[in-house]
Amino acid sequence: MDEFEFSRGITIGQFIPGTSLIHRMDARTKIVAFMILLAGVITTPSYIGNGIAFLMVLVLVAISGLPLGYLVGGIRPILPILAVYTLFNFLFLGNYDPTGSAVLLRTPVSIGPWEFAFTVTDNSMRQTAQGVFRIFDLIMLSSLLTLTTSITALSKAIESLLAPFRVIRVPGHEIAMIIAIAYRFMPTVAEELERLMKAQASRGADFGRPGGLRFVQRTRQLVPITVPLFVSAFRRAEDLILAMESRCYVGGAGRSAVALDRLRRLDWSALAVALVFTLALWRTPFPL
Amino acid sequence: MTEHVIEVRDLWHWYLRGTPLQSVALQGASFTLDAGEVVGIMGHTGSGKSTLVQHFNGLLRPHRGTVRVCGSDLGDPKTDPRPLRRRIGLVFQFPEQQLFDPTVADDIAFGPRKLGCDHAEVRRRVQGAMASVGLPFDAFKDRYTFGLSGGELRKVALAGVLALEPEVLVLDEPTAGLDPRARRDLLGALRSLHAERGTALVFVSHNMDEVAELVERVDVLAEGRNAFSGPVREVFREEARLRELGLGIPAAAELAGALRARGVALQGDVLTIDDAVEAMWTSLSSPAA
Repeated sequence: MDEFEFSRGITIGQFIPGTSLIHRMDARTKIVAFMILLAGVITTPSYIGNGIAFLMVLVLVAISGLPLGYLVGGIRPILPILAVYTLFNFLFLGNYDPTGSAVLLRTPVSIGPWEFAFTVTDNSMRQTAQGVFRIFDLIMLSSLLTLTTSITALSKAIESLLAPFRVIRVPGHEIAMIIAIAYRFMPTVAEELERLMKAQASRGADFGRPGGLRFVQRTRQLVPITVPLFVSAFRRAEDLILAMESRCYVGGAGRSAVALDRLRRLDWSALAVALVFTLALWRTPFPL
Repeated sequence: MTEHVIEVRDLWHWYLRGTPLQSVALQGASFTLDAGEVVGIMGHTGSGKSTLVQHFNGLLRPHRGTVRVCGSDLGDPKTDPRPLRRRIGLVFQFPEQQLFDPTVADDIAFGPRKLGCDHAEVRRRVQGAMASVGLPFDAFKDRYTFGLSGGELRKVALAGVLALEPEVLVLDEPTAGLDPRARRDLLGALRSLHAERGTALVFVSHNMDEVAELVERVDVLAEGRNAFSGPVREVFREEARLRELGLGIPAAAELAGALRARGVALQGDVLTIDDAVEAMWTSLSSPAA
């Protein structure tokens, strides 16, 4: 495996052009529809419901035509945290179960002065499983959104969705611009990081050996990278300011869009499908 | 067969391999370098020059094909490339962006310190490296890195690699963005490095004048493959092919071509300014045509 290729592992902030149904939808539709679906995902209490929601996510991935493996790759970095979180939930959540559901397992443990118990109840098991499903669904849905939508479209959509809140002085345009810039530069900074690590490795720096818990050494190894990385980030920010100002950018006031996109039939049907799906998921009394 | 210092055969490399954004950078490139040689790599932007040279010290591993450097096979994942990075010094494009220490001498000392040199050795290497790039040690050692000019920064960055005392120095577009004087200084420093220490140089550039002036042999890359290669004089005779690949010929050679087209008889190959001056004197003193 290539030692320094980071941009490979970064699926966030990437955009993969395509012509699938999901690619063709308006970005506003995608944001709202995904929010509706997420509402469904986080309100269903049943195993079957969660399974169906997960299936729905997989179907959406299939429709988008993106390789499933690439999307799942975005989950890999958080897998260790997810594993620990799930393990703790599984073992301890039952201790704090206020619903009084059936206790499936209870093992008192005492290590020295500490006494506690592993408890698994019917309800805590359900919550543990839900936690895993929800995180998967959330990450897959949000990567699906960013992978199929260009940054320009996404920021325009955020701006237009925030427009109604202008009456309470929410700076929609500025928020959208900040998000767009942050997303735009994520791959650039990753590339820069890669270049710097290679350059310093060529001068004898060593990032290969993690060396267990030697935090101080590991942090010191990062100085030759972080300093130039910040220097170039600031330089880039200054260049960007110049570029924007020389094109007469003065913020959101009085700006208007070149193309006023109206939602099409595809968008309305997608919204309707999302809404129906979520309502059905919410109202169906699943047996399990 | 004698062992080459760097031997690359049929090298393939893909960026973002295994993702939807995969793109091929090298498709069967080859390259060899012997001790003490000065070789140029030319090619249009995106021809794979930078990707190729990053294989020389194991920053990239071959996806297909073989890369042997100083006798070790970098295609073997068990080969540790770190010892090679001391012998093959790689200077990246715009190397001044990798400086991080507040003072010049400390930044140059980064490499030797990482090698585990003692204080006296570090000092000797830093002095040596600064002398080779033409930075006076006493005047510059405590200067603030971030207060230097572009040309000085470039020299500091180059010295940072030279302090490792590599046998081979690989330079990726070392003169890009420098003013003419800084360019001349830098090329002069490289030339004397080669003359005095016998350091082999790999010079990646698309500046034809510099290639003509510095190197003995050129490899031309196009689309990740070797388009052609040979001694620098022969390569620059292929003007039409070079133009086809988005490259050109040195300014002096163009001038010579234009003069010949107007009926001035110039003798021999004209690649550098010195060649041109020589040829014009000869043709003026013996107006045979």
